[in-house]
Amino acid sequence: MPCVDTTQLLKGVLDLAVLAALRDGDGYGYDILRRLRAAGLQDVGDASVYGTLRRLFANGFLNTYVVPSDEGPHRKYYALNAAGRAELDRTGKTWRDFASTMDDLLQDRGTV
Amino acid sequence: MNDVVADEITGYVARVRLALGGLPEKTREELLEDLPEHLAEVRAEGTGTLVERLGEPAAYAAELLAAAEVPDVKAEEPDRYAELKAVRDQVVRGLREADVRVGPVLGYSKASEFLALLLPAWWVLRGYLAAMVLAHVFATGDERLGLLPRVGGSGVLALVLLGACVVGSIWLGRRGTPAGQWPRYAYWSGTAVLILLAVVGFATVDDEAQVTPSYVDATYSGNSGYENVRDVFVYDGQGHPVENAQLYDQNGQPIQLGSQWCDDPDTGESVQSWQRGYPRCPKLNPFVAPSPTPMENGEWPTPDPSVPPSLTPSVTPSVTPSAKPIPSPSK
Repeated sequence: MPCVDTTQLLKGVLDLAVLAALRDGDGYGYDILRRLRAAGLQDVGDASVYGTLRRLFANGFLNTYVVPSDEGPHRKYYALNAAGRAELDRTGKTWRDFASTMDDLLQDRGTV
Repeated sequence: MNDVVADEITGYVARVRLALGGLPEKTREELLEDLPEHLAEVRAEGTGTLVERLGEPAAYAAELLAAAEVPDVKAEEPDRYAELKAVRDQVVRGLREADVRVGPVLGYSKASEFLALLLPAWWVLRGYLAAMVLAHVFATGDERLGLLPRVGGSGVLALVLLGACVVGSIWLGRRGTPAGQWPRYAYWSGTAVLILLAVVGFATVDDEAQVTPSYVDATYSGNSGYENVRDVFVYDGQGHPVENAQLYDQNGQPIQLGSQWCDDPDTGESVQSWQRGYPRCPKLNPFVAPSPTPMENGEWPTPDPSVPPSLTPSVTPSVTPSAKPIPSPSK
């Protein structure tokens, strides 16, 4: 098992990733998955995204609304609310601090 | 086409729901609330079936569960057992304290140190109990529970069974508690059942030992426990012998004890007694001097059918009172 497992890393930051994906605009589940994959998170699974959305919604960070569609199914859109935006700012900062610490650490050791 | 897709989605959701069966219903339904719509989007925007694109429903459910972290479940699970766990912790604490306190009384720093020494004794006892239970299971008839694990009344078989079970139990004990989860469950539940049966069996045997048989056929033949009784001497509250006493059991049945034959102490002759009640042979009363005093108008057991039996008591009792001063009860 590798020391750094992308799946494990992803688990820790998926909330932040989903919140960030919604910052650019409301989206439905599959749409958000596509955004994440387009951004480079190839390994993210559909169930993970759906589950994360359900949890963020249950925790009060997201609002939802349904958009009827003539062709195809009705779509449930997720949108950041105020709490979600605040959470995005807070965890975003945590991540940046963490990431820069890791960068510093790696550069100090001359690994990168 | 749409129907086919709808069926596929419904089926997939159903299987995910099945895989989430361990969750509380409320949590599960919250998780699955939007899944049909979501899957419809997934299905609409790509090619291939859901299973092809998302994997097996069970795997999907596992991933979903991990991502959703289902806070309710984590909160609920400990809650459900919280009380039990608190009780268990309290019991364990109490046992530890007792362990330390009782230890010095037994001469050890902890009672458990002493109990550990008794472990092989428990293995032997366990083997014995197992043999008893086996014997009882294989018992054919209505043998009463005894002390040996008899099968079909055979003592040799009982000893063989006992030996095998004791050796087996010791072997099992030396191996220690099984490692796997299910073997361990089986081990402990088997022990519990054994102890339970042992307590029941012990109580039964003890119970049967306590009760003196309330009514045994009191005949002078057979194993009534009264086969040595040849005669009965009855005394009243004043210590006077009662002649021609009748004995009845709780059912109103006359109690038949002893024999109708009296051995004459002098001649050694066996003569049939004509007494209607007890004692059959008043002459042989162990509390009275063997040679009856005066006024016997004849030999005792004289068969004299002409004399009404009611006559006899009137004669004999009058002997004894006259020997003692009667007025004593006036106190």
